[in-house]
Amino acid sequence: MEKSAGTSWGHEAVVKELMRVLEVHTEHKVELRESTELVGELGIDSLGVMEVVAELEDKFGLTIADDDLREVETVGDVARAVETRLRADGRWSE
Amino acid sequence: MTLRTVARAIEDAAESGRTGYRFVDEASNAEPFFTYGGVERATARFGGALQALGLRKGDRVALILPDNQDFVFAFLGAVRAGIVPVPIYPPAGLSKLSGYLENTLHIVAKSGARVLVTDGDIKRLLGEVQLRAQNLEQIVAVEVLRKERAAFRPEKIDLDDTCFLQFTSGSTSRPKGVILTHGNLAANVRAFMQLGLKVEDGVDSGVSWLPLYHDMGLIGFVLGPLFHKNTVTFIPPLSFLKRPAKWLEVLSRQRGTISFGPNFAYALCVKRVRDEEVAGLDLSAWRVAGCGAEPIRAANLRAFADKFAPIGFDRRAILACYGMAESSLAVSFDNAGVGVRSDDVDGALLAAEHRAVPLAGDGDKAVDVVCCGPAFEGHDIAVFAVDDAAGERRLPDREVGEIRLRGPSVTRGYWDEPELTRAAFAGGWLRTGDLGYFVDGSLYVCGRIKELIIVNGRNYYPQDLEWEAGKVEGVRKGNVIAFGTRKPLNDRERVVVAFETGVSDVDAREALKVAVRKVVRQGIGLTVDDVVPLDVGVLPKTSSGKLQRAATRELYETGQLWTRASARKTDRLAVAKEIAKSQLSYVRHAIFGGDKKR
Repeated sequence: MEKSAGTSWGHEAVVKELMRVLEVHTEHKVELRESTELVGELGIDSLGVMEVVAELEDKFGLTIADDDLREVETVGDVARAVETRLRADGRWSE
Repeated sequence: MTLRTVARAIEDAAESGRTGYRFVDEASNAEPFFTYGGVERATARFGGALQALGLRKGDRVALILPDNQDFVFAFLGAVRAGIVPVPIYPPAGLSKLSGYLENTLHIVAKSGARVLVTDGDIKRLLGEVQLRAQNLEQIVAVEVLRKERAAFRPEKIDLDDTCFLQFTSGSTSRPKGVILTHGNLAANVRAFMQLGLKVEDGVDSGVSWLPLYHDMGLIGFVLGPLFHKNTVTFIPPLSFLKRPAKWLEVLSRQRGTISFGPNFAYALCVKRVRDEEVAGLDLSAWRVAGCGAEPIRAANLRAFADKFAPIGFDRRAILACYGMAESSLAVSFDNAGVGVRSDDVDGALLAAEHRAVPLAGDGDKAVDVVCCGPAFEGHDIAVFAVDDAAGERRLPDREVGEIRLRGPSVTRGYWDEPELTRAAFAGGWLRTGDLGYFVDGSLYVCGRIKELIIVNGRNYYPQDLEWEAGKVEGVRKGNVIAFGTRKPLNDRERVVVAFETGVSDVDAREALKVAVRKVVRQGIGLTVDDVVPLDVGVLPKTSSGKLQRAATRELYETGQLWTRASARKTDRLAVAKEIAKSQLSYVRHAIFGGDKKR
């Protein structure tokens, strides 16, 4: 079921949503794990990472700070950046 | 009006109570606005804080400040105190950190900076720089400077004084510090603001997402508008890269009349901006959409104009320009208000005879060259044969040669590089290393001399091969490099096309190689000797993301191109090491009391 931006989220739901966005970007060609590197393994360039982040911001209804973006390398890092914002907004349900 | 120093322009602008700088800050959802009166006060505070660190007129201060507001105030504060800022680009991420630190160390050491100002997060990563740059006394966090309240002592500043050092991200060599005086900048601002843009003082309004460590953002949108008291709204570069629509949204909301970007920015908007993101926007106030800083593709600009015409974008707003760090910013603008003009020339004659002969119709062999307009008044641009070292004979219209410049915007040379400075000039002209030609007083730019691919006496521009190869599905557009090389066999020039691809399957990669050869042969009539598909992130790029052709050729010649992995993995360890070194250096500093000062 589709979740809307305002609802609260848990870790699994965040990762699942993230995988869905990434699968579209990589055309389902790569198996995704939390340790998968966006640039090194998924073949997404730095502009592509920005594109993914923008989609996630829309999906979750939040803004990821530029400072947090500098630290993002793996799928898991992106999930954590999203979760940090959700916690700050009081929309974390675990 | 006589020329003024940047320091004087800050004082003069202070009387303006309506116009100034606005900084879009996504994190806090705020847009703080400083009138030029407020800018005068904020820059005096930063100037005083830098003086309190012991910096005096003529000393250099390196700046690594990703936040636009911090950068602008620290930069202008230093300039008012006569301290020479040396802007350095911030690390793009934790990847490729070792290369970043090497470059930064080089710039800090070469400029002789006594102090480096950065933010607390980046400071942690600069241990190597702190340890190895002998001249660097301290790295100061900007958070500390903001709190300093020492009074500012004004300095007498002349037009001949050095205003700042603009380090260029050369594609072949280590960065060189272009010396720009207040006189250079005042002359260039007059040229592009008054003659090029015909700016109305205090009325025209700029919008910029451009990085401020780059000439187009810094001179074009911090200094130019300051001299003419125009309001500018700054968007963080990352916000634009994340959401290109943000640029258009701010232009619409602020009724922006002037904005610039390199070719890729316009292409990114065409590719990424969705119609629903710009529904309801109005770009009709945007009267100059400037394009420069990298090779311009007329097709990209026309696609941009088509896409955004429905929300009021006027295709005549597009303005192509030409310039380089060595000429402050720009030396020529095409006429404002006519849109992008280009010349379809015969690719075969261009290659074989170095002549740009117009081609009727839209044939396969046409090469599209963009018009960058005439030289600004008081400046001179001419084209000479590449081997005409003394600059004795200007080439006639439509003959391709090296573009050379002279005039008040042109630098007197590179900081502490007498040999490179001598090599950069020929008979009083700055050698640009670019190829181009004139038609009726207007300049057309073809490409870089060093990157020309010469096969059987014919010249081919790598951009043209790359453009063709980028059309193949599976090849990452914008991540293609073409070059010629005689190595390793040393018999004749071989043509190589290397590109990044997300495709990993061996057979699929073979198919891509075949497709690239075919599309280049059809489009340009040239047979490619070797096609090299690579993983994403392997091709070397500069800080601003420009492809490094010479570096790629070197990697190819030494066989390292195939063994080179994406820089990510190796750098994780480097990050840990850097943080450890930083902490170590602070401990040493505390124990030995800064023993690095001689």
